[in-house]
Amino acid sequence: MTRIALPTGDLRADAAALLDAAGAGIPDYAAGSRALRFPLADGGVARVFREKDIPVQVALGNYDLGICGLTWVEELTQRFPGHDVVRLRDLGFGATSLWLAAAGETCDPSLRIVSEYGNIAVAVARRMRLPRYRVFPVLGAAHAYPPEDADVVLVAAGDEAEVEAHGLRPLWRVLDSSAWLIGNRRSLAAKDLSGVLARLLAGAVPLAMRPQAGHDGAPALSVPPSLPLRPAAARPRSVLRLALPDGHQQPDAIAVLEAAGVRVRGYDEGNIVRRPQTDVDGVEVKVIRPQDMTQQVALGQFDLAITGRDWVFDHLVRFPSSPVQQVIDLGRCRYGLAAIVKDVRADTVAGAVREWRTRSAASPIRVASEYANIADHFARERHLGRYSVIPIAGASEGFVPDDAEILIEGIDTGSSVRANRLTVLERFFESTNCVIANKQRPTGALRPVFDALVERLGAGALAPAAARGA
Amino acid sequence: MPDLASTQLARGMRDLLPEEMARVRRVESAFSQTCRAWGYGEIRTPVIEPLHLFTAAGTLSPQTLDRVYSFLDWDGWSGERVVLRPDSTIAAARLYAERLDGGRIAKLFYSQPVLRFTDDGSSREEWQCGVELIGDTGRAGDVELVSLALEALGALALPDVQVRLSHAGIVRGVLAAAGLAPEEQSAAYDRLLDGDLAVADEVEARLPQLAAPLRLLFEIEGEGSGYIANLHAALAGAVPGLRAPLDELAFVVESLEARGIAPRIAAVLARRFEYYSGIVMGFQSAGRRIGAGGRYDELIGLVGGTRVPASGFALFVPPLIELIAAEPEHSAPALAVEAASATPRAAAAAYEAARALRAAGIDVETIAPSVRTGGQTARMGRLLCADAAPRFVLERDGAATTFERIADVVAALERAR
Repeated sequence: MTRIALPTGDLRADAAALLDAAGAGIPDYAAGSRALRFPLADGGVARVFREKDIPVQVALGNYDLGICGLTWVEELTQRFPGHDVVRLRDLGFGATSLWLAAAGETCDPSLRIVSEYGNIAVAVARRMRLPRYRVFPVLGAAHAYPPEDADVVLVAAGDEAEVEAHGLRPLWRVLDSSAWLIGNRRSLAAKDLSGVLARLLAGAVPLAMRPQAGHDGAPALSVPPSLPLRPAAARPRSVLRLALPDGHQQPDAIAVLEAAGVRVRGYDEGNIVRRPQTDVDGVEVKVIRPQDMTQQVALGQFDLAITGRDWVFDHLVRFPSSPVQQVIDLGRCRYGLAAIVKDVRADTVAGAVREWRTRSAASPIRVASEYANIADHFARERHLGRYSVIPIAGASEGFVPDDAEILIEGIDTGSSVRANRLTVLERFFESTNCVIANKQRPTGALRPVFDALVERLGAGALAPAAARGA
Repeated sequence: MPDLASTQLARGMRDLLPEEMARVRRVESAFSQTCRAWGYGEIRTPVIEPLHLFTAAGTLSPQTLDRVYSFLDWDGWSGERVVLRPDSTIAAARLYAERLDGGRIAKLFYSQPVLRFTDDGSSREEWQCGVELIGDTGRAGDVELVSLALEALGALALPDVQVRLSHAGIVRGVLAAAGLAPEEQSAAYDRLLDGDLAVADEVEARLPQLAAPLRLLFEIEGEGSGYIANLHAALAGAVPGLRAPLDELAFVVESLEARGIAPRIAAVLARRFEYYSGIVMGFQSAGRRIGAGGRYDELIGLVGGTRVPASGFALFVPPLIELIAAEPEHSAPALAVEAASATPRAAAAAYEAARALRAAGIDVETIAPSVRTGGQTARMGRLLCADAAPRFVLERDGAATTFERIADVVAALERAR
């Protein structure tokens, strides 16, 4: 039975067209169905993942074949060079490049490197023999970080103009990428995949071979001989910096600001302006992913941020001595973190562990989650014994029971859990949105601005009773 | 759930059983006794160091850096990574720069592991016994280190020990004269180490002024100062940068030859360490690599200290414990001391008797192992102990004798020795 991992997101339409042209079309996948699993004509199964998760799933052997951008294969390769992913064929769509970019002509030698491709960023720094650098892996909006919050970014963009459209100056094209057909080494060695493989390879129309291609035809990583380093003039910060969330937390953050009487022009629902303007004197606002705020506040890049208590928890179980602390529980954006399973008879985590151990005593219990640190913490606290954490980017409901035993996931009404016939074994953390700050408070002229803004944002918090009813 | 191999040992790690540990301790003991006798002091550096210590140009090569265990510590929210010690020389250089006065001569030794990822099934944790000689010791420092290493190896009675010497400046001089950029030099150097002699031809094509083929340098392993003189005559005219390295090499080789030690000379020895700047040394026994080292005059400056000349070597413990002779059995077997009955007082009597016997120099076992491994002793009899008369029953050679005082048991055993 062939198992193939297919991408959601930008590559979905082209991947569906490729399958169609190869005579292996999946109408519901092509139509954008929300289902995550589709039967294949040969009795196999296709499963939809976020692109970033596909190389990991193929490397683990959960899937025989996969389609994803080369950047994500390289991101895995740079951290785990001995993985079991074989790059089979450039599929001829999804062309993009990874660029090193800075805000201006030069970058500060403190070299804070921000990227969604943390492993590639580390590899680039290492190959450039940079004596000292810090890589901040983020989940999104990397282009918004320079110059205040990063000296260099590694971002995906189709061409130089697209990099420049973010107000950045391209420094070097590190990697050319496109969608590739990949396979698991052991599946290819031992399993007859010839039917689907022949059809997919025949349907592919590779892009023109690039000059920097490596031995398997895939483009190789290229690093600049040097960076235009020049120390930036040290200037004391004159404004207080507030980070606001994008994504699903944005509507609740807007509600908080409205209730607090804080106007932020350009921070509207369905609208992403990375540097919206506020009418609060002495305050500067930037919109980034809520998942990435804790580290930025710990570093002192932002004085205040609105994020979720779930992400504060995830940060603090990883870095217990971090100076990040919650200053206001805003009481909105309420959901619980839960351990979710499927097709398990037990109704407790301990019972489920016994059930899995009866089936296979020595195998690791796989815990999949977008909250990798919380998943690790949960596995330790619940004495799972031998376990592995599978960090995932999304499309999480489909992970149990085939690709993981436990899913650690945020749930609110539970409708998605019911729709996917999943079981909540334990709801172990209640999350709401909150305001966070560094334990080291701003000093001087910034301190009264800080205190005043905290007081105003506190007025935007739901009262506990209202929060319970929310 | 996926099936995994049955062992719970992490990949690339190994357990050491008592017999193997006895060999490890013999290696460490011979090494440390030699070092102390030569006036060296022992150090230990942390297993976790900041990654940036190892990333600067001239420290570890990119290939080695690709294999270090680096991660964010529990307080690594600042984004700076730490690393499990991948190399002891760089750690010792940091220790010297921070803790010992720059410019002073420091004579240091250590016994500790380095950790590097391997994907060929070999060990990822390698214990090393190393020496660092830091300070301006002149050329005599290189002679001292080779001699010290040979004396430590001599104490282990290893078969067929060989010294191989090189000089980092030889290859660098040739490759630089051929106009190769630093990164091209590194790639060519690695190819030479892998035995790819086509590099010699490629470099030779860039040096038309050469009077003799470069294969004289790369293909032949020389046998002493005569070979160095030949290299001088054949190559130094066209590559003036070779003169100083060859002179330094000749000094060490002639010093060793005068003491009856015949080192072999190779153009390339050290693999993937960029910090070597002068003499490079390697040690073999029965054809196996058992140690390596060299001069690293730039390293202390690179890790934040003032520039101080330095050199060192490390002996590799895993091959050494396989090459040394088996541990001799203890000559005196141990006496088994047991409680005569399963009461707390009888147990107390047995442990008190065992203490007194050990104090008298008699080896005793209060619990006999089910499996005897190398290095453990055979039984010389059994002493049953009780808290009431007869307090001691000594069973030996098929006979049982009773005693009321432990001093009498000791006297009887000493008479029987």
